[in-house]
Amino acid sequence: MGTVRQLLLWACLIGLLGAASQVRADDDDPGARAERWQALHQALFPGRSLQDGAGIVKLDAPPRALDAALVPIGIELSGVKAIKSVYLIIDGNPSPLAAHFTFGPKADPHSLKLRVRVDRYTDIHAIAASQDNHLFVTSRFVKASGGCSAPAGSDDTAALADMGRMKLHVVGDFVAGKPAQAVLMVRHPNFNGMQMNQITRYYTPPRFIRTIDASYEGASIFHLDSDISMSTDPVITFGFVPKSKGQMKIVVRDSKDATFDGTFEVPGEGASNPTAAAHDSSNGSASGA
Amino acid sequence: MLTEQRLRVIATGLLLLGPLTSPLLADTPAGQRGAAPEPSGFWTGPVNSAVPNTLTGGKVILKARELVGLMRQGGAVVVDVSNAPRRPDGLAPGAPWLPVPHRAIPGSIWIPGAGLGEVPVSVDDFFRQRLSAATGGHLARPVVVYCHRHCWLSWNAAKRAISYGYRNVYWFRDGVERWKAAGYPTEVIEPQFAPEGRADR
Repeated sequence: MGTVRQLLLWACLIGLLGAASQVRADDDDPGARAERWQALHQALFPGRSLQDGAGIVKLDAPPRALDAALVPIGIELSGVKAIKSVYLIIDGNPSPLAAHFTFGPKADPHSLKLRVRVDRYTDIHAIAASQDNHLFVTSRFVKASGGCSAPAGSDDTAALADMGRMKLHVVGDFVAGKPAQAVLMVRHPNFNGMQMNQITRYYTPPRFIRTIDASYEGASIFHLDSDISMSTDPVITFGFVPKSKGQMKIVVRDSKDATFDGTFEVPGEGASNPTAAAHDSSNGSASGA
Repeated sequence: MLTEQRLRVIATGLLLLGPLTSPLLADTPAGQRGAAPEPSGFWTGPVNSAVPNTLTGGKVILKARELVGLMRQGGAVVVDVSNAPRRPDGLAPGAPWLPVPHRAIPGSIWIPGAGLGEVPVSVDDFFRQRLSAATGGHLARPVVVYCHRHCWLSWNAAKRAISYGYRNVYWFRDGVERWKAAGYPTEVIEPQFAPEGRADR
């Protein structure tokens, strides 16, 4: 899949005159994209009406991605409406529901960042679900292609050995009672089953993160349902409200039912590099991160 | 939408402008810069790269019009060997799996995996059986193989069909992009995977 897209990119690169570079008509045609969105709306939110998210939810994505396997996505929530969860939908991906964040009591639900794989030129939609059960939508058109089949890295074995290591980084100074931003990094290849091993020429079996739970002092910050669209080695930026110094716990589960968890003191020893412990409960080994 | 004829006129004009016109020429039969030599076996390199102009033992079709002729008069069996996304094991139950509908040349059968450089036995067998069923076992029946422009999968699959003994194998080199550019309609088709599911194991 996405084979033509890469090729078209090449055509663009080679063709300085550029006149003949041709995009698959389906993807670049706004009518076809609108039709796709209609189908997804019906499949994902049957019978629900979607309201214009202007002033409530904002989506940041590059118009043209440098790397289709690492497309940075930002979702901002204004706070005008109380939001309970956010959906990220990549229309052109075969598994379009890329992420669903559900906020917990410790969340500061204003800003989320993550990185995703994009398979072809596509609209990307963010939908914010309000506490009073309305859905607010916004979208962006992103030109990127081939992200699903792009290799996760040069060495599948090394990626699997490192799986589950985590780092957490609190942005800026820690002030108890004030919202803070944290950046979570998880080592995981997130193999989606569409990546070919560059040496064996066989497809790498799928293994990807299905859920991430972040909690602070025992109460949830967010629960994330994710999918094969998430990039290799996910990096997620999120907001939380620390009432005091405490412990953040991260639990990651993948499609092989392995669980990895990390516990971080916030603020840690030099808040930018807190201590962490991650273990893979699937094999019982433990390692410092 | 540019018709083939117009493309040809443009390409002929650009030929006169010299070598800087490579991007346009890359899309036309008139100018084939950077065509790859035919490998002796199947191509196992990058799927999306320059393809040859030839296929030993088969015929190359460049124009959509020729393909239409083969389908109408020759009763050609038309095979799309584009890759297809496969629902990965371990996707959460109920997780939506909604690949974008695959638009292809009407009447095609879609056999993903048949054009890999190295195919598992199950896929090889499946491709052979599907071709046999579609041609009614007539090795002289025309078989047309395509995927996308600059895509080796169709070259490999056409070569494979020749190796099965088909005597009239055509490679529609520029694939569905050429078909669409010529203004012909497409239809949504579903992939046919080898049993045991996966074209890749």
